[in-house]
Amino acid sequence: MNIMLFLPIIVPFVSGGVVLLVPNRLPVLQKAITIVATALNLALAIFLFKQNVSCSLPWIGFGIDFALRVYHFSAFIILACSCFGFLIAIYSSFFIQKNFRANQFFSYFLITIAFTNGAVLADNLLLMFFFWEGLLLVLFGMIALGRPGAFKTAMKAFIIVAITDLCMMIGIAIVSRLSGTFIISKINLPPSAAGSVAFVLLAIGAISKAGSMPFHSWIPDAALDAPLLFVAFVPAALEKLLGIYFLARISLDMFQLSAHSFLNTSLMVIGSVTILLAVMMALIQKNYKKLLAYHAVSQVGYMILGIGTAVPAGIIGGLFHMVNNAIYKSGLFLTAGSVERQTGTTDLEELGGLGRKMPITFICFLIAAASISGVPPFNGFFSKELVYEGALKRGFLFYAIAATGSFFTAASFLKLGHAAFLGKVPPKYEHTKEAPLAMLIPMAIIAFFCVFFGLCNSFALQKLIQPVLHQANFHAAEFEGFKVNAKLTAVTLIILFAALANHFFGFRMRGKAIAAADHIHHAPVLSFFYAKAQEKWFDPYDIGLRIVNMAAGFAFRVDRAIDWLYEILIVKVTGFFSGTMKRLHTGNYGTYLFWSLIGLAFVIIFLSRSL
Amino acid sequence: MQNISLLLIVCVPAIGAFLLPLIGRLNRGLRNGLAFIFVLCSCLLSFSLLPCVLSGKVIEIAKYLPLGFNFILVADSLAVFMACVSSAISAVILLFSWDYISHYDNQNEYYSMVVLFLGAMMGLVFSANLILMYIFWEITAISSWRLIGFFRKKTDVLRADKAFLVTVFGSLLMLLGFVSIYQQTGSFDLSVIREYFRHNPLSAVTAALILAGIFSKSATLPFHTWLPDAGVAPSPVTALLHAAVLVKIGVYVYARLFIVNFPVSLLLCSIVPWIAGVSALVCGGAALIGTDFKRIVAYSTISQIGFIFLGLSLGTEIGVFGGLLYILMHGIAKAGLFLCAGIVEQNAGSKDITKLGGLFKVMPLTAVSFLFCVFSVMGIPPFGGFFSKYMVFSALVGNGNQMLTFIFLIGAILTILYLARLFMLVFTGELRIAAKREGSSLMVASVVILALACLAGGFFVGYPSKVVQSVVNQMLTQQ
Repeated sequence: MNIMLFLPIIVPFVSGGVVLLVPNRLPVLQKAITIVATALNLALAIFLFKQNVSCSLPWIGFGIDFALRVYHFSAFIILACSCFGFLIAIYSSFFIQKNFRANQFFSYFLITIAFTNGAVLADNLLLMFFFWEGLLLVLFGMIALGRPGAFKTAMKAFIIVAITDLCMMIGIAIVSRLSGTFIISKINLPPSAAGSVAFVLLAIGAISKAGSMPFHSWIPDAALDAPLLFVAFVPAALEKLLGIYFLARISLDMFQLSAHSFLNTSLMVIGSVTILLAVMMALIQKNYKKLLAYHAVSQVGYMILGIGTAVPAGIIGGLFHMVNNAIYKSGLFLTAGSVERQTGTTDLEELGGLGRKMPITFICFLIAAASISGVPPFNGFFSKELVYEGALKRGFLFYAIAATGSFFTAASFLKLGHAAFLGKVPPKYEHTKEAPLAMLIPMAIIAFFCVFFGLCNSFALQKLIQPVLHQANFHAAEFEGFKVNAKLTAVTLIILFAALANHFFGFRMRGKAIAAADHIHHAPVLSFFYAKAQEKWFDPYDIGLRIVNMAAGFAFRVDRAIDWLYEILIVKVTGFFSGTMKRLHTGNYGTYLFWSLIGLAFVIIFLSRSL
Repeated sequence: MQNISLLLIVCVPAIGAFLLPLIGRLNRGLRNGLAFIFVLCSCLLSFSLLPCVLSGKVIEIAKYLPLGFNFILVADSLAVFMACVSSAISAVILLFSWDYISHYDNQNEYYSMVVLFLGAMMGLVFSANLILMYIFWEITAISSWRLIGFFRKKTDVLRADKAFLVTVFGSLLMLLGFVSIYQQTGSFDLSVIREYFRHNPLSAVTAALILAGIFSKSATLPFHTWLPDAGVAPSPVTALLHAAVLVKIGVYVYARLFIVNFPVSLLLCSIVPWIAGVSALVCGGAALIGTDFKRIVAYSTISQIGFIFLGLSLGTEIGVFGGLLYILMHGIAKAGLFLCAGIVEQNAGSKDITKLGGLFKVMPLTAVSFLFCVFSVMGIPPFGGFFSKYMVFSALVGNGNQMLTFIFLIGAILTILYLARLFMLVFTGELRIAAKREGSSLMVASVVILALACLAGGFFVGYPSKVVQSVVNQMLTQQ
């Protein structure tokens, strides 16, 4: 039985290694291995679901064992990840084009799945971190496979995540010292000073993995530079699941946080700021994929906000939103992929009227876009309502920001859908066809889940989300069933209609769907900030690098100053002494005799004194 | 039998080194082969001693001389561990230099000095007598002096002189320290000294003198600037200096003297981590600004040595464990980085990273190997460097010093940044230099071996950690 726990790590990892060796001449073999491996992984995940077992092997010593454990929460995350993995594998069988280093891509893809499973199954904090940070490598590799010049983005992502992971590593060291164990299920720390520091460090790692501000800035870059499948799988689905999973674990299980602590409030602030700023940036994007990428950042805000509220409704909402977001966001990226494959571009300026040419893609897009905008009865609506309810309990301001975020979300998706799928078909896309079946099926399945998790939200909440909280300090009975708060729903509907009205106002004003948000873009004060943001003035990564470079310049001067001691000072001092001695040695016999006599005098004086 | 292997580990390279120039006059291939065999012989014999010493046995050869002098070689687990690491890395480096050095003058001297260098290292590692230690210490200084100035240009010779003068100045201070220990204890024999210091304190001045010697050899602030300057040496030599032998000597002697033999003094425990921290910060920063490929990697060595000293100086079980594991992992990765630098330097004809670029397309294997080593130095799992870095940090957190933790966190961040910058500037972007090809297959094979060793160090970390664990146990019980 215990061996089963290792299989979700070993199977994808080994098949990832095998795929790397398959030459690119045999694409069918590569795809077959990938699909079989992900299918096996899915089967394993289904088998492990509802299990509750653990096992442990000795590893390094010092309490660091190779310990794995599966229980509701981890089983659920693994199931979700393997579903996405399987769907993306099917999708990729048609999406991957020639002249692409497909063996590397599939290999990294499978290793990503293996490491994710490892991180989720690990019951030892350091083992979890081993897999968690190991994901960084495949992340780097996958982005670097993108279009020429993607190395730069890959390195940006790598640096950001590596630094935050370093913080997390120190957090883990502190936690293990405070609690005296690495076993995650046994850690339960009171909120002491050192504990708070540890929580902050771990939370930095978690929210950075999830792609929240201020660690987000590689995601929009990667949306353009990296292979689309990577974006649809990793930042859109997997990293959200992992990051929020870990955030939930640290704030629910590992630390005893009180609801009104400073830490929870700061999480909420981070969440709300992320929601608002990222969605504002999404609104003005003119590229399908980049627009989605900013939403991928913005949606994390809702999850962090929800978990940060520390109110049952908020936490449930945050976790539910994590699942929902992974579903609709990867679905949206897949529609972007099928548009890109069929037309060769994702630039919204060029696209238009694709709804008639690619009807199924369009329908999937509509469902996913309605979900992310929070239109009832799709899944995003229910999770957002729960987050709202939680936020409202902690402060009106948080709710207001979250609701404003929804307004902009809806507005930007109206713009996106209108620009890409409605309107006139540009002449060069007159003969565009629908994407192949293997790409449509995953999209359709994802769209189905958007509807299913919306209509049968009680199923998702009771079977998937609530068991998670059994462990935490809450009682699951508190949230049996789901009651929609009528007032909040009314506000949400008003916001959605406002977004619709806003869209038509903008459309009328400029006459073009893509310019429908320009009246916000060019609003008096906003336009200045938008311009600077587009120039990357506010990119925390660039700002951080500038600061570090200044400090490094100082360190460099210190180093040169020390070198100056050796190269100049010591040489000069030595030169001075030896030069002086040289000048004294003139070769004049009389002078030497004089020196000798003085010396002799000293010797005599010394001897007479001592005698 | 084991006594003979112990003697052979030291004598084969130390004496063989003097045969190499003679053989070189007859046949160059034979000389190259023999040089490799000498090193390999040390390496294999060291590994053959490993199971025996890990079971707790200590192998000893002693010849007593009057006045408390003696010739004594002792192989305990720390010594054998160090010998294995150094000789294994040196063997790969020597393999690399077959092709690297093949078109330069003075090859006889090169091989003889490299093998002598390793032989002296082996002697130093096993010697249990301070004077013997000092003699081997100075032999490494002399051979590194010849090797750094290998290309004989004026600046090369000046830099070699600088390295020699700084390290010899330090070792003379250390000799003063040894003499003052002799005055106290009446012997240079480490086992006598250990017994003496069980009950008596070590004076701060003596400790400071010995530390100065160690820091100058290990290139720690403020005695470090000779190390980046030594980058003028041929790449295998810099790899040898940085990764396998020279700077590790200082670290080893620190572990040997201050952890095993001398009493723990609070002063040392509190000052050495700070020196290491400042060293890690300053050189990390300098690496981020520098533009010379090998200088950057050299600064990186200095800053990583800071991490090793940190681990060792904390003196706790986990700290010493981390420090020793760091020696292994960093040695492998750093050797890989320098050998890659050698390939780039020979094929692209430049060390200036602002002029290089886009080499990933031309030399993919080198680039990927470089990347693996970079990841290991950064401490990214699943590479070996991760575990050593975590262990050092864990010991630091256990020590509870927040300011130091912060300093080393910044140091680790700088490590990530300067290595990332180095990789980006050299291997990605536009190809600006007409570099046509990979290095020779032997050169590439040796960097690939090191890169795979970095990866294996992470996946099979259980084996090295078991060895290091028993080394640490033995060290701390001897105390």
